[in-house]
Order: sequence, then C-alpha cells, then structure tokens
Amino acid sequence: MPSKIIGGQFGGTFLFFCLAYSQALAQDVAQVEGGFDFMQFIGRFHIVLVHFPIAILLLATLLEVFSFKNFNSKYRPSIHLAIIIGGISAVFSAIFGYVLAQNEEISGDTLDLHQWGGFSTAILSLITLGLHWLVLKKKQNSKISVYRFSLFATSLAVIFTGHYGGSLTHGDDYFSFSEPKATSDKSSLLSMNTDSLSIENQIKLVGEVRAIFAHNCYKCHSSNKQEGKLRLDQKEFAFEVGKHGKVIVRGEPENSELVRRIKLPRNHKDAMPTKGKALNEDEIALIIFWIEKGAPWPEGSLQPRLFRVAKMEPRKPILPTPTGDLKNPIDLWVNEYFKQNRIEWKPKVDDRIFLKRAYLDIVGLLPTASQIIAFSKDQNPNKRASLIKQLLAQDEEYTQHWLTFWNDALRNDYTGPGYITNGRYNITDWLYTSIKQNKPYDQFAKELLSPKEPSKGFVEGIQWRGTINASQRVEMQAAQNVGQVILGLNLKCASCHDSFISDWKLEDAYAFANIFAEERLEINRCDKPTGKFADTRLLWQNFGNIDSTASRAKKMEQMANLLVRPENGRIYRTVVNRIWKQMMGRGIVESPDEMDNEPWSQDLLDWLASDFVEKNYDVKELIYLIATSKIYQMPSEGVKSTNLLYDNSYTFRAMARRRLSAEQFSDAVSQIITPIFTIKDLKYTGTKPNILKPAFARASLVANNAFLTALGRPNREVVSTSRDSQASLLQALELTNGERLTNVLARGAKYWKAQFKTRDVIIRVLFSKALGRLPNNSEMKTAQSAMDENPSIEQIQDLFWAVLLLPEFQLIY
Amino acid sequence: MNNNRRDFLKQSAATIATMAIGSPISQLLTSCGVKNESNATADAVIVLFMAGGMAHTETFDPKKYTPFSKGMRSDSVLSTFKSVPTALDGVHFSEGLESIGKILNKGTVIRSYVAADLGHILHTRHQYNWHTCYEPPQSVVVPHLGSWIAKELGPKNEVIPPFINIGQRFDVGEGEELKAFHSAGFLGSEYGPFMIPDPTKGLDSVRPPVGMSQKRFESRNQLYEKLVKESAMGEFGSDYQKESLKRSMEQAYILLNSPEAKAFDLSQEPKEKYDIYNTGKFGLGCLMAKRLIEQGARYITVTTEYVPFEGWDTHENGHTRLVGMKKMIDAPIAQLIKDLDESGRMDKTLVILASEFSRDMLMEGRPDLRVLDQVDQPDVIEDIKNYGMHRHFTDGCSMLMFGGGVKKGSVFGKTADERPCKTIEKPIKIAEVHQTIYHALGISPDTNYEIEKRPFYTTPDGKGKVATDLLEKKA
Repeated sequence: MPSKIIGGQFGGTFLFFCLAYSQALAQDVAQVEGGFDFMQFIGRFHIVLVHFPIAILLLATLLEVFSFKNFNSKYRPSIHLAIIIGGISAVFSAIFGYVLAQNEEISGDTLDLHQWGGFSTAILSLITLGLHWLVLKKKQNSKISVYRFSLFATSLAVIFTGHYGGSLTHGDDYFSFSEPKATSDKSSLLSMNTDSLSIENQIKLVGEVRAIFAHNCYKCHSSNKQEGKLRLDQKEFAFEVGKHGKVIVRGEPENSELVRRIKLPRNHKDAMPTKGKALNEDEIALIIFWIEKGAPWPEGSLQPRLFRVAKMEPRKPILPTPTGDLKNPIDLWVNEYFKQNRIEWKPKVDDRIFLKRAYLDIVGLLPTASQIIAFSKDQNPNKRASLIKQLLAQDEEYTQHWLTFWNDALRNDYTGPGYITNGRYNITDWLYTSIKQNKPYDQFAKELLSPKEPSKGFVEGIQWRGTINASQRVEMQAAQNVGQVILGLNLKCASCHDSFISDWKLEDAYAFANIFAEERLEINRCDKPTGKFADTRLLWQNFGNIDSTASRAKKMEQMANLLVRPENGRIYRTVVNRIWKQMMGRGIVESPDEMDNEPWSQDLLDWLASDFVEKNYDVKELIYLIATSKIYQMPSEGVKSTNLLYDNSYTFRAMARRRLSAEQFSDAVSQIITPIFTIKDLKYTGTKPNILKPAFARASLVANNAFLTALGRPNREVVSTSRDSQASLLQALELTNGERLTNVLARGAKYWKAQFKTRDVIIRVLFSKALGRLPNNSEMKTAQSAMDENPSIEQIQDLFWAVLLLPEFQLIY
Repeated sequence: MNNNRRDFLKQSAATIATMAIGSPISQLLTSCGVKNESNATADAVIVLFMAGGMAHTETFDPKKYTPFSKGMRSDSVLSTFKSVPTALDGVHFSEGLESIGKILNKGTVIRSYVAADLGHILHTRHQYNWHTCYEPPQSVVVPHLGSWIAKELGPKNEVIPPFINIGQRFDVGEGEELKAFHSAGFLGSEYGPFMIPDPTKGLDSVRPPVGMSQKRFESRNQLYEKLVKESAMGEFGSDYQKESLKRSMEQAYILLNSPEAKAFDLSQEPKEKYDIYNTGKFGLGCLMAKRLIEQGARYITVTTEYVPFEGWDTHENGHTRLVGMKKMIDAPIAQLIKDLDESGRMDKTLVILASEFSRDMLMEGRPDLRVLDQVDQPDVIEDIKNYGMHRHFTDGCSMLMFGGGVKKGSVFGKTADERPCKTIEKPIKIAEVHQTIYHALGISPDTNYEIEKRPFYTTPDGKGKVATDLLEKKA
C-alpha cells in the first residue's frame, strides 16, 4: 500500500531538496563580499530552533506513555499537534544545522554523529507523523504499535542528536568534567558591574586576564614568538593591529577578533588557542568583561604571578596519630591521603619480592639464593627492618649503586664530550667518597656549590670549544644545573629570554649566573648582546645578599652558605623527592626538576623535608625511613602507559613498577652467570672492588659503552634525572644478538657445565639465582624439553638467555 | 618453510603495527604540527656524508686549474685539479668525478651552502650542526635529523629500523663528540640510529648471534616465549613495561628472522655490481643503502667516516689524498643513483650529498669572520704536501641532491671565481636544507615537541624556510 510510506518518502525528498538548494544558495551568498550574511544568519538560527523538536517531540512521547492503556485518551489531539510541530521543526533544524556546518567550516567525528542524528530525527519524525495520521484518520489500528515504536525511536534519536549537539557547543566533557568554579577572585571581579572600576580593581582585573593570556597564549604570542604579528604580553603591543585586524577593540568585545576566536568551537580552523586546552567559559567571560570595561591596563599594574610557585620556607605539619599497624610517619601521611582518596591498603608483598626490591633499591644487586632462604626462615618479626639496616651498612655496595644516580644528575662520567680538550672535570673520587661516608646533604651540596678541586666539575660545567650560544657559557650552565639539580627549577628558558614557562626573567638568570662569574656577564637576549648587566644575586630577593664585588670563590661560598640553610625548604624538598622517586618509581612531585609543580601530598613532602633537616641531612636515614614503611612493602602498581604515571590527574596508590637500570641488569648478569665487566674495565680504582665472588666490576664504575647505552645509560653531557624505562627495538637487538651479552652467556655456560652435573640442577639453580624461586612444574617441563639430560653448553647458554630476558627478571615487582 | 616464515612475518608485522598504537615514552611528549604526507614528494632519504670537510673547489664547484710547480704562491691556487664536463652544458665538476657528472641530469648541484659560524672550527661541532640543525651545545639532548624522520613517519617497513647509520665507528678520536649527535635525544631511544659501523659486517647486526644456527635461534626464542607465558608473574597483570619488553623482543625476533634482513647481506648482490660499488667501506655502504631502500628503509646516512686527519680531513697532501677520495665516492654514488632509478625508487627517494664545511688553501673560517688558523700553510709552496686545501672554509660549500621531487639537471647558487671562492648567489643554510627535506617528506615546519615545557621544533623555532627553487613543485 503506497500511502504507508508517503510521509517518509515525502519528508526525505523534501529534505534532500532543501539541502541541495541551501548549499547552492550558500555558495552564491559566500561570493558576495560583505553585507548581511543571510546564510550565516539562518545557520546560527539552528541553535535557537533545535530546542523546539527536542522539547515537543519528547513531550509527545511522554504523553504517549500516559496514553498507553487507552489510545484514545484526552491527550490524543495534543499528541497529534505535538508530532506535527515537532516534525516540522525537526526538519527545519536539520536544514539550518546543515547550513551552519557549511558556513562555519566545522568538522570532526562529533559533528558527523550530530549531523546524521539530526537527519535521522527529521526523517523519523516525519515517518511517525505519517503513521499517526494513518491510525488517527484512516483508523488503521493495526499500525498503533508500529507508530509507537517509531515515536520512541524518534525520541531516542532526539536525545542522541541533542547530546552530540551539546558536546559541540559546550565541549565533550561538559557533563563528565566539572571544572572548579571560578576562583572567588574571578567571580567577584565579574560581579563588579559598576560602570567605572577603581584603579585597584582594574589592576586586579587585567592581572587575571594576563594570567589567562600567559598560560594559554604566550607560547605563540609574546616576546619569543609573534604569530600573526600578535603579542599579548605587553600593553604597547596588545592593542596593535594584527595580521587579521584589531585583536582587542576597547569596549567592543563583539568586534574583537580575539573574542571571536576564543569562542569558536575547537575544531574550527580559526579557533584559539591552537595549542593546549580551550579556554573555559569563566575565562572567556572574564576576557569579555574586561574588554567591555574598555580593556583597562593601567600603568603600574604588575606582571602577576602567572605560574604556581611552591613555598620556600620549611613546614612541618603535625603528624596524625598512629593507628593500627601504622607507625611509620610516611604511612601516617599516606593513610591521610588514602582516606581522602578512598584508597584501601593492600597486604604486604611476600619476602621474596620484598627482598629483591630492597636489595636492588639499596645496593643495586640481587639477593643470592641462600640469602633468600635464610631470610624466609628468619622468624624475627622485625627482620625486614633489620635487613634494610644491614643493607645500608654495606658501604661499598651501597655507594656503587647510588653512584649511578648521582653521576646522571651531576653529569659526571669517565668519558664524554669535553674531556678531549680538558674542558671538563671528573668528580668521581669526591662523589664516591661522599656517598660512602654518607656525607650530610647540606655539606654535600655545599661542596658542590662552593667546591674545592675534587668536586669542582659540577659547577665548572663543560667548556665547549669554539663560539657557543651565550645561554650555554659555563657560568650559565652552572646557574641552570644548580637550579635544576639542587633547587628543582628550570632556568633554561630564562637564560635566553624571559621565561614563558615560569616567572623567571632573563635578568634573574643572569643575576644568578653572575655568582659563578669572575666578572659580571653582559646580558644576552636570544644570543644578542643587550649592553645591560644584571646584579649579582640569588634567585630569591629576600634570601640574603651576595657581595657582588667579592671574588668568584667568595661569591660561591656565600651562595652555598645561604642556600643550604635549613630555612631553605626548597633544597631539601628537592632532594627528598629525588630519593623518594628512586625508591618508589615516581616522585611526590613530578618532574623532580620542577618543584613548583603540585605534589600529590604536600604534607608528606613537607614533613619528609623537615624531618630530613632534623635528622642532620642523613640520606641513609631517609632511605631507611622509606624502606621500612608499610607503603614501601605494598605490591607495586603497573600502569598501562607512561602518560598515566606523569599525568596531572595521577593518584598515588603504590610504588610504580620499574625496570632494572642498565647498571642493575649488567650487575645481575655478572652476579648470576659470569662477570660482564671485569676488574680490567674499572675506570675508578679508588676503592677495593666489591666483596662478591667471582669479582666483577660494577657497571657504575666502567666507561659507557654500546651495551650500557642501549639499556639506557645516558651520555652525560646534560643533566639527567630520570631514565627512560621503555623498551625499544634497538635494546632488544642488543640483548638478542649483541656481542657482549652473547659472549658472556657463552662463557658462563661453559663454567656452569663444569660446575653442575645435570640439567635439572642447572634449571633449579638458574631460577633460584635469577628469579629468587624454583621453577613451577610447567616451567620445569618447558626447560627440560629444551635441553638434553646432559645438556650441551649451547643449551645452557640459551636457557640463560631466555630466563634473563623474562619480564619477571627485568622488572622490579 | 620460506613461505611459512613470510606468512608469520606478515602477521607479526600487523601485530606490531597494532601494538604500536598503545605506545611509548615519546607519547609523554606533546606533539604539534600536522603531517601532510599527501603532498610529500619523497618517502625515504639517503644522506651521503663527506665527513671531514670536502673542498668545493676540488669537487663539485671547480675553479681555474692551477697546476703544481715548486715555488708557486699559495694565494695563486684556485683548484688543484682540472675541470671535466658533466651531463649539463657549461657545468663542470672536478677531475675524478666524471661518473657523478654524467648523472647530474638527474639532480641538482648546490654551490652556495654556507655553514654556520661556530667560531674556532671543529669538525664534530659542525657535524652536530649539520645533522641536528642546532648549534652545540644545547641544554637538552637534541635529536638527529634521522630520528625526527623516524619519529614523524615511522618505519616504512616494520622490520627495518627507520634510522640506519652506516660507516661511522665511535672508538676513534672525538668519538664522544660524535656520540653526542648520533642520538634521538628527547624523542626517546627507540628513534635512535641503528649503527652499522662496517657494511661488510652489516649482516651480523641483523642475524642470529655469530655461530648460532637458524634452528637454534628459533628454538631459543620458542623457549623464551613459553617461559614468558608460564612465568608466575602473570599474577601481576600487564603494564606498559612488560608489554614494551615483549613487543621489543618480538620486533627484534622478526627483524633477525625476516627475509628483509637479507638486504643487509651484500654477498647476495651479483658480483659485477658488487665490484662497481666496492671502492671500500663507503662504496659498500652505498650498496647497502641501495638494498635497504629497495626493502623499505626510511632514513639512511652513509658516511665516508669521520676520523680526525683522515678522509676528507686533509691537513696536508690535500691534492694527492683527494685523488683517492674521489675514486672512493665517484663510481658508487653514480651507480646508486642509476640503480635507484632503474628500480623506480628514485622518484620517492631523496639522496643528498653533503659535508660539514668546505676547505680553502689559506682562509680559515670565512672572509668576514676569520678564526684561528689550525694548519700552517707557507706563502710559497715548495713541497707537494702543501699543495691542497688544508684550511677550513665555511662560506661556500657544495651539495648534491637527487630524486624525491628535486629539480633535475639544475644548478643552485654560485661562488666567486676568485679567491676566496665564497658564496655570491643564493646562500643556503642548514635550517633551509632541513626544512626542504622535511617539506619533501610532508612533515610540517611546525612540527615540535614540548620538552621541559618548552616547544622544540625540527628547525630552530620552526623558522627554517623551504628552498623552493630546489624543488620541481613549488611549495
């Protein structure tokens, strides 16, 4: 029966016709320059119109529900009217929407979904109308259920389309993401709805606006870069005419290009900012308000603090009362954090996992099989704490492990760029001795900052030959590296120009670098001399003065004395956070070089730093405190991607799972199989080689080489404070067919063949040594089936290889 | 057997591609810049690097021949070789480069490269600058050109590392300085160079360990895979480290086992062809590059190798030594271009010949920025060992470019015919060279990563301009 589908067919054809027509019209109109853009008007009318079908069609559905028992209820006429109006408005909404999309050049998945949803809604509503008409006027009662089905489908389509439409205008996360409400400052500014603002309020207002500019716009529109010839960081530039006309028109937000752009949907080609997040509604409202008020920018308005700045002074929060088995102060703070974040404590890991963790973290070696057995038999309830104490007392092994961490951070190495022309100094002897003596950290830092001969390598930096960029002269290197490593802040940006990632100015960086200079340095901006000179001072004005006329050595001594004072909370927060990261895989603050970032627990960080000072800057004591905490004994947490670990939204639950470092892996191979580096490879001989047998050279004491590089040991020409824990093809190739490992495993296999008689013994010994456990049944069978009962050297070698490459071996669980 | 392996390979390559989506460290970096591969005129790059400073007047930009005679004045010397014609009318190369001259109709000679001004001249610093586009030192570890390309475009063939470096050893003088720029830097080690110091031993890098049979290699891998499955660590669930370890091992196994690995095996090449290329390590490096490009390599450097005072680094006997150097490069480079042309790869492969700077007999640095002389050169030459270009000159260097959208049979720029033979037309610097390469590959000039919160671009501040005159299609 053709009449059944008339409505639908008609609707579809009509829609198609309208679309084709409007598109042609849009093109014509677009060709006419200037004047009133009719198509744009029609398009934008979509936003108003869409509310009709949404409300009316949903109303029809609701009324239909009420009429479920009785089709001919009193609502029937209203339903009919609602379907007619709803259907027509849906068709027009779809057409106008299509025009809008064409005109504003929006695109993307969300738009596609919304668009098809809109078309479907229009068509479905016309079908519904047709069916309803058949039932109502032609009395085809058999169609009632089809009609109802169609109506419900229509309302589902309305909801679907409306949702994606909402996402287009308000952003994807409009529902799921609740931005903290405007700060009281911002909202109070917005409510200052008087015509004239006091100077004080003007300063406040422009400060807030500039903070928004700084975070979102400076990257491309400030002193460093002026895309579209726009600069927003200074008054004299902000109101200039840019490439696309006047960016900010005082008093006329509607004519300000800036306003138009920040309000555009994200996927529009003109939308700003192009990099980073879109501005939220409060931010947009604030900028509009500011422009409405004439965009006041009074002289004397200070550059506001644009970035989060951590407090300098130490703070020791009062410890929560111990509860249950929680006594270690770290656990008390973690417990507070867990309570806030509704995280449960988990049971402690077993002895085997704990032992491997503790050994690797403190001395960088694996526990031997007999150590594991002895430990598991030990009935002493405090055996874990005693073990930590005992490991910390192994001075030589402890030093040989922690040397790697400090070598990376202080960019100390036996070979590397610079040595060839004596442009660099090795500090290994001083560093080794200092770690071994467990030198109090204030003293340690002082000797680095105000060095005598043996520790001068860190501040002397690398003297490159030839002409170098002014921001890389040795004095500036010193400022950058002391900033990064000792103080946890980034001066790299500010040593070339005013920073756009922090509040540091070029002048601050030069003033600080002057401490390391014989004579004051001429300020270079982006490598161009400015003829200006900075003072000589610390980065913080109120932190004590440096006598600018004193000798270089004296200035550095004054700086060292000022910086290591206990009043400097920053230096100790920085170091405790670094040690925490080494032990727990992720800092309380990330990155550990950016201590102005927010810690996941300010209390824990502050308390640890203060406690560290009270305990006489004792690094071993800090490690002991961490390693004996309950949280250190929780199961580690594996994340699906590194992003999650360093994301702002990170929630601390447990130690992050880590991979053996290049040095830990090499030393483990030396321990289990046969030495990968021998005494001949030692680059530092100021100590007795370790007590282990057979004697081998710890990887921290040998020159960098292709094997260690492949496993992640950095070329220490720049400071490096975290290693890349991601495996790569080049690494896997080195492990799979690299000469060094292959030879070591072959040598080891020969040795094992002579030492152990049978296959099964070899399998058991290898599993115990490498994994700290015996093989399970299926592992045993697999290993057995790969070897003869009297295995060949090759078979032993291949078993070594397979076990050493297991994730279970390479990861610290 | 072979069939099975190939099937396995296909499957696994697909698996890798899928796994690569949930990817690595570099994801931590916020990337900006859009790839526009549809506009790309090239999809692979070979850089033939004349390490040590190749004198332009003795190679691709010859001047008046000044034959040796005892008692001649140093400042009278322009070129120590005769000029020979090339495929282009009126364009000459230096004697000894006849074969490359004959294929100039397939590419462009650039005669106006101006190296950076880094003061006191040092090879490794200028090489760092050439290969990274940045001047050393930098406050972060800067990625090599090959690493940027590897990162942006990925491998062309999943089993061939996207950045291969042929011919450079590190255990030579200034080895540490060389390491400083053979690095993926902040892009992450996975984009670092796959180093093949000696092409004759290239196969060793991509086959099972020396002395291990194929069968043993396969059963060793099976043992590993079984043990991974059976390991008690399953209880800890999966995480990115475990997954990336497994993935990298699988990739390595596939590469070491793949038919493509044969590309690294030069003995597979017919003898006649092998002999043409075989002028030593460099020539064989060109042969390997040819074979790898045919199998889908993305970026390759073949270097004449930098060893202080060797190769192009002539501090004396410049003339005599260059006879040998030209012999080493002439035939293999010409053959490489011909072979790529024949296999149809030339259109999409951009081949670039370059050196960190040029040389002059007297001028150290450049006319307006002279720096400390590093070589003694008498005013009057009595001994042939003083006859040659022994000082480092930065103001006029030659380059060649072939394929990948580069103009065919064209000359770009010009140097003066009188000493010092400095650039007088269309000077081109490293940022433009890099941007032109990126442009040909469809990599946007805005490509940058945020490192320590600062944007870091492929060329400094993203400001390198494309040298459109080098390309057939206008940018």
